[in-house]
Amino acid sequence: MYHTLLNSPVSAETQMLLPTVETMVGVLYFGLFAISFDFISGYTGYLSFGHAVFYGTGAYAVILIANGKMPLLGPGTPFMLSLLVGGLIAIVLAILVGLVSFRLSGVYFAMITLGFAQVFYVFVRGWDYVATNPRDGPAVGPSHAEGFQIGIPGIDQLSLSIGVLTGDEIALLGSTLSGTEVSYYMIGLVVLACYFAMQRIIHSPFGRVMIAIRENEERAIAIGYNTYLYKLGAFAISGFFAAVAGGLFAGFKRSASPENSFYFLVTGDALLASIIGGFGTLAGSLYGHLFDETVREFLSKAGQGGGLLPYLRALLGQETLDATLLGETTIGGLIDLLLNGHASLYVGLVFVLFVLYVPDGLLGTLRTRLGGTFAEALPAKLWGDSE
Amino acid sequence: MIVEALAEFLTLGELGGVIVNGLAKSALYVMIASGLTLIFGLMGVLNFAHGSLTMVGAYLGGLLMVVTVTGGTAPLTRLGLFFVAIVVVFALLTVLGGAIETTIIRPLYDRPPIYQILLTFGLTLVIEELVRIVLGVYDLQPLSDWQAALATKPQFLREPVALGPVSAGWMSLFQILLGMITVVGIWAFLTKTRYGLYIRAGSEDAEMASALGIDVRQVFTVVFALGIGLAGVAGTLLMWDPTWGASVPLAAETLLPAFIVVIVGGLGTFRGTVAAALVVGMADAVTTWWFQNAIQFTGLPELVLFLVLVVTLIVRPQGLFGVEEVGGH
Repeated sequence: MYHTLLNSPVSAETQMLLPTVETMVGVLYFGLFAISFDFISGYTGYLSFGHAVFYGTGAYAVILIANGKMPLLGPGTPFMLSLLVGGLIAIVLAILVGLVSFRLSGVYFAMITLGFAQVFYVFVRGWDYVATNPRDGPAVGPSHAEGFQIGIPGIDQLSLSIGVLTGDEIALLGSTLSGTEVSYYMIGLVVLACYFAMQRIIHSPFGRVMIAIRENEERAIAIGYNTYLYKLGAFAISGFFAAVAGGLFAGFKRSASPENSFYFLVTGDALLASIIGGFGTLAGSLYGHLFDETVREFLSKAGQGGGLLPYLRALLGQETLDATLLGETTIGGLIDLLLNGHASLYVGLVFVLFVLYVPDGLLGTLRTRLGGTFAEALPAKLWGDSE
Repeated sequence: MIVEALAEFLTLGELGGVIVNGLAKSALYVMIASGLTLIFGLMGVLNFAHGSLTMVGAYLGGLLMVVTVTGGTAPLTRLGLFFVAIVVVFALLTVLGGAIETTIIRPLYDRPPIYQILLTFGLTLVIEELVRIVLGVYDLQPLSDWQAALATKPQFLREPVALGPVSAGWMSLFQILLGMITVVGIWAFLTKTRYGLYIRAGSEDAEMASALGIDVRQVFTVVFALGIGLAGVAGTLLMWDPTWGASVPLAAETLLPAFIVVIVGGLGTFRGTVAAALVVGMADAVTTWWFQNAIQFTGLPELVLFLVLVVTLIVRPQGLFGVEEVGGH
């Protein structure tokens, strides 16, 4: 599909609009993190502003295990197992943080989770056990040269390696999938499984209580639920999936740094994704992050995938670019100035506009329009099934 | 080794130096955080853009100093120009703050407080990127003129001064002085002026205040504007400080300590903010001393600041001077 579009007559336009496969892999694992953030914040209403700590825990756990630095676990530990270990550590961490934090609510809760996360961030940044230069973060060392395998544990034939340089390539139906494309599908499988698991929890009685807490916690208590335990449980589950997302990220990139795993702006990115996609719509976070990344890449620097900048440069031609507008500025200079590497500006503007005018986000608004989730409302609209 | 270090720490000279440093840091913290606490206290808006606006203030202040100071001026003239810069930055950012409040914060008062956090968070992204673009256009940071912004600091502020056995920097004393002026100024404004009365009434009970005929909307705008103006003043001051300086990451670097101070003190109480700034500034100075002299852990001062936040929230969730209403907002 992707190849077909790239070789079609509109290839330049396609390349401008579509994100690269590398970006899409990032959308998947970070989308999972955004979903896990939405799981706790969107459904119970407790803004977990330090959620990056679980993402970082997962990422660091995978790398430490691969480097043989985790006690009891050798470098040969299967990737799926190390994801699970990272998730379990995150659960323990989430319970410890949650025990204290859930005594508070609102802004105070957001702040104490932020406080905890920054404690871990600063600690990891100075902890020289994890890497020779902890500020730069750890990378997978020579003790684990091959790629990380995702598959069904115990059945080797069904496992494939992920990673940009170390991933497997497979030939399928006459076309070859590159290492990155294989990673895309394999990471996608894990993300899908995690999404379904969270979806299942949301639609269970447990999930109903979470929504009850968001809507009116006092009433939920009055009905007889121990909301403290429910919140703690939801936080632990969310932490687990956040760690899985972090593990996938580390497995694909083979390195992590405090800045891209533990830092509070990582949580900020998940927040952007959740709000743009729709707060309290699990899948929305993934679409939100896809939207976010697409905008970023569309406006990214030249040479990093498609984007508007190289497209405009090629389209306008050199003479137009050199034409002067006002004083010294050329059109090319202006385009460069406005577009080159300033995607955050436009993402920020989009975000502000979303908060102001589309508070339900992409998916939330669509659901309101359709009068239900896609799965329910779309067939009804298309075939006129009325109850 | 720890014992030796402790013995050295407790000598008069060292301890005095740490205390002066701590007071200077407290002064900086109180200036960064007081705008944040005013805004939260009255409006319940946790302003995530505060750090970015502090950063804007630092750049504006630096720019003004570069433009106004030509080489070879007397130290006192430079100090005078510095105060002029503070006033100008305050005025500019107050206008900016007013504009932000009326255009984008105002439509959000009816929504849950979470949306105001989100909005101001988005605002930081926009502000930071705009600053980057402007810096890129004028190629400001590497410019020798800009380097001279630091050089506008009068020579005597760089030199140490001996107060008995204690050796401190003039810069610290200058910061302490400015911090005291700010605290007294805000305190006088809140308690001695009619507008301060409106603000206090509004933070007690906005509905009741508006029922009594106070235009709470207008008070909101004024307080937001003043809060942002204060952020700008803090930024201008940071421009001269050797450990901060004007840079884009300054936004996050000042935002987090400001949050710590405001929350430890009790959200929205000015008295609490002053007390918390003292606590946090002292903790910072003490741990910085220990890091430099005894304990080899790079993140120690920063770690301790966040631990102060976490411990405060565990022991006394409403903060030092906060009212007994957990999660009121």
